[in-house]
Amino acid sequence: MFKSLIIILLSSVLVNNYVLSRFLGICPFLGVSKKLNQATGMGIAVTVVMLLATAVTWPLQLLLDKAGLGYMQTIVFILVIASLVQMLELLLKRFIPALHKGLGVYLPLITTNCAVLGVAINNITDGYNFLESLVSSLGVGLGFLLAMVLFSGLRSRIDETNIPKPFRGLAATLIAASFISLAFMGFAGIVEKMFA
Amino acid sequence: MKKSIRSTVVLVSICAVMAILLGLTNYFTAPIIKKNQEAAANEALLQVMPNGEGFEKMDISSFTLPKTVTEAYKEKNGGYVITLTTAGYDTGLTIMCGVNADGTVSGAVCLASKETLGKEKTYGESFVGKNAAGVEAVDTVSGATKTTTAYRNAIKDALNAAIILGGGSVDIRTPEEILADNLNTALPAGEGKFTKLFIVEVIEGIDAVYTADNGAGSVYVIGEEFIAVPTDTTSDNETVAAAQIILAASTSTDISLTDYENLPENLLSAKKTATGNYILETKGAGFGIMNDEKYIHSSGEYIRVRVSMTPEGKIIDTLTVYQAESENYGGACAKESFYGQFDGKTEETYQEIDAISGATLTTNGYLKAIENAFAAVKIFEGGNEQ
Amino acid sequence: MKRNSNWSILLKGLLKENPVFVLILGTCPTLATTTTVDGAFGMGIAALAVLVCSNILISLLRKVIPDSVRIPCYIVVIAGFVTIVQMIVQAFLPGLYVKLGVYLPLITVNCIILGRAEMFAGKNSVGKSALDGLGMGLGFTVALLAMSTIREVFGAASFAGIAIPFMENYKIEFLVKAPGGMLVYGCLIALVYVITKGRAPLKKSFSCAGCPNAANCQTGACEAAAEAEIEKGDA
Repeated sequence: MFKSLIIILLSSVLVNNYVLSRFLGICPFLGVSKKLNQATGMGIAVTVVMLLATAVTWPLQLLLDKAGLGYMQTIVFILVIASLVQMLELLLKRFIPALHKGLGVYLPLITTNCAVLGVAINNITDGYNFLESLVSSLGVGLGFLLAMVLFSGLRSRIDETNIPKPFRGLAATLIAASFISLAFMGFAGIVEKMFA
Repeated sequence: MKKSIRSTVVLVSICAVMAILLGLTNYFTAPIIKKNQEAAANEALLQVMPNGEGFEKMDISSFTLPKTVTEAYKEKNGGYVITLTTAGYDTGLTIMCGVNADGTVSGAVCLASKETLGKEKTYGESFVGKNAAGVEAVDTVSGATKTTTAYRNAIKDALNAAIILGGGSVDIRTPEEILADNLNTALPAGEGKFTKLFIVEVIEGIDAVYTADNGAGSVYVIGEEFIAVPTDTTSDNETVAAAQIILAASTSTDISLTDYENLPENLLSAKKTATGNYILETKGAGFGIMNDEKYIHSSGEYIRVRVSMTPEGKIIDTLTVYQAESENYGGACAKESFYGQFDGKTEETYQEIDAISGATLTTNGYLKAIENAFAAVKIFEGGNEQ
Repeated sequence: MKRNSNWSILLKGLLKENPVFVLILGTCPTLATTTTVDGAFGMGIAALAVLVCSNILISLLRKVIPDSVRIPCYIVVIAGFVTIVQMIVQAFLPGLYVKLGVYLPLITVNCIILGRAEMFAGKNSVGKSALDGLGMGLGFTVALLAMSTIREVFGAASFAGIAIPFMENYKIEFLVKAPGGMLVYGCLIALVYVITKGRAPLKKSFSCAGCPNAANCQTGACEAAAEAEIEKGDA
């Protein structure tokens, strides 16, 4: 039980990293990874929203299935995520203004972060139970944070390098991301073997 | 305020409109999707029953089926498709087998296995069109005896399951379970716990004797008949009564091994009964046991066998006293279905037994132990005492 | 040239304002579904259908929807159409449904669609919005096809699942893996930059301003585009 949770956690952080191997949440990965503090803030905000979204959407799916409305999944999930983000922003602003200052700016972006909707849907399709779903969401969020933080370090170097004009900006960024993704491919197989 | 009410009304009505649109689309697509999914599921079933039509998953919880059966589908024309999981060389051999309405195999495929040889991929084809007897006659694949035997047993289970699912009845008990049931019926006072008596005397007409562990009495086996004899009573059956007298009178004395020369070094101990029979314990090298993924080979690990024999060299009874073989393979040598085969055999015929499939080394080690027993009896009878 | 003629609305999506290579929107499906040509084509057409439908409906409702709740309204409309497309694909193209997996419902959060709703359909007539959706959808499809052709032909030695025998010994499997996708995408962005001679429009002025992802773009991708623009000015 505990072992399988650890495997889910580690494989969603390292092996099936949403950004680097499943291409979910690429937009903020490319957009907000320029500075370390931004990257960290966005990563933490995404992790929190993922956990909250899963905690709400998993039981909701049960209700939907019971009512025979399984096909409403996408529409319900995205509304839940959008309102969660909205609520979280309001709550932070009202009660913890300091934290809102740090994370608040990233919250509106999260609604359209496909990693959040992706993890909510994937938890259902993978047949995880409630606890496993939460652990998997945590792992995905941490994986996102890890990718962002790693990449922000790399980007500060890219910006100082003299690269051919057509590649400047996003092209070079994507190619650098490709190499990080290549490095993460090395994790494949390690996690399962570790506990085999 | 008015503004926010308007916003809410618009948002809610858009939600409602989209929900209606979705519901409509779902109304039209849901049946097609369901049909697609069924067709996809049926595709696997059609592999093993190419002529099958209209499969329906059955609730198997209300049937007593062979333990290997995991899923069953009923086909319109009276056939069944049965999924079984069994253990071959490794656990997790999953087989899907189709059984026609007439009780013949329509096809079998291996869905998942961790086996190494890959022979199971096409092995299923050799069962097509066979009935229960035909399945029994299918040869195992040499080099993959363990896997193919498990495969064949799974197919047999599938045929039995089909009979049971069809409302028939069939004995799906293993030989051990049948024996246990028979003993329990004969002597309920034994509370289901019996030990086979190691017989050292020649007793005519009796196949085996079992004693209850709680001392309630014994059960004598004559062919298919199980005759219970409670403790301190004499049976009405003449054969049994005669055997009782012989067994009660049996005594034995130790033979000092140092008194003889050239005894096989695998002979551990020997006894002689008052009637002149020998009780010998010998050992043979087996395959050893798997431990930490390494085979602890035969050095130090032995199969120990107890054999009783007439002075003429005819085996009365055999028993595996100790074995350190791995559970799924050589461990079968501890079962009566294996060592019981030696009863009544002589030096000329003792090798005519069915080897343990997939455990050649164990079988050879066992035969070596028996061979030593014959050699020892010859020396004792030859009387070359010092 | 007639800037606002219907033709230019339709054609701008193909190259000049290509959503994938110039506006850098919808990166997730671009990277994820381009390992095979048929998967990419399916994704392109599915997104095109959603884009056209949502553009039309949002344009129709543009005068009804109050400004304060427009984003949730757009999201509901888009998610609804995505689900409809999802059900149709599942019913009639089950193979494609399995292939696209989670990326099909994720069209909902494809920034191209929300971006076009916000930027164009919310402000223009139904006809123009439909054309805009069609153009952008085609641009998305063409971009996916270009990328998937490169990846599948060189990476898996096949085209839409049909094996190309003489390529068999020369395939670069790296290309169909995750890092290969990013590499090809990066190179194609650079290529489009060369073709358009850096005249691709400044990203900020076209899609970001109203996009809910605006802050995202402004802090990163748009800066990159802005830098490119400055470079152009320098040259």
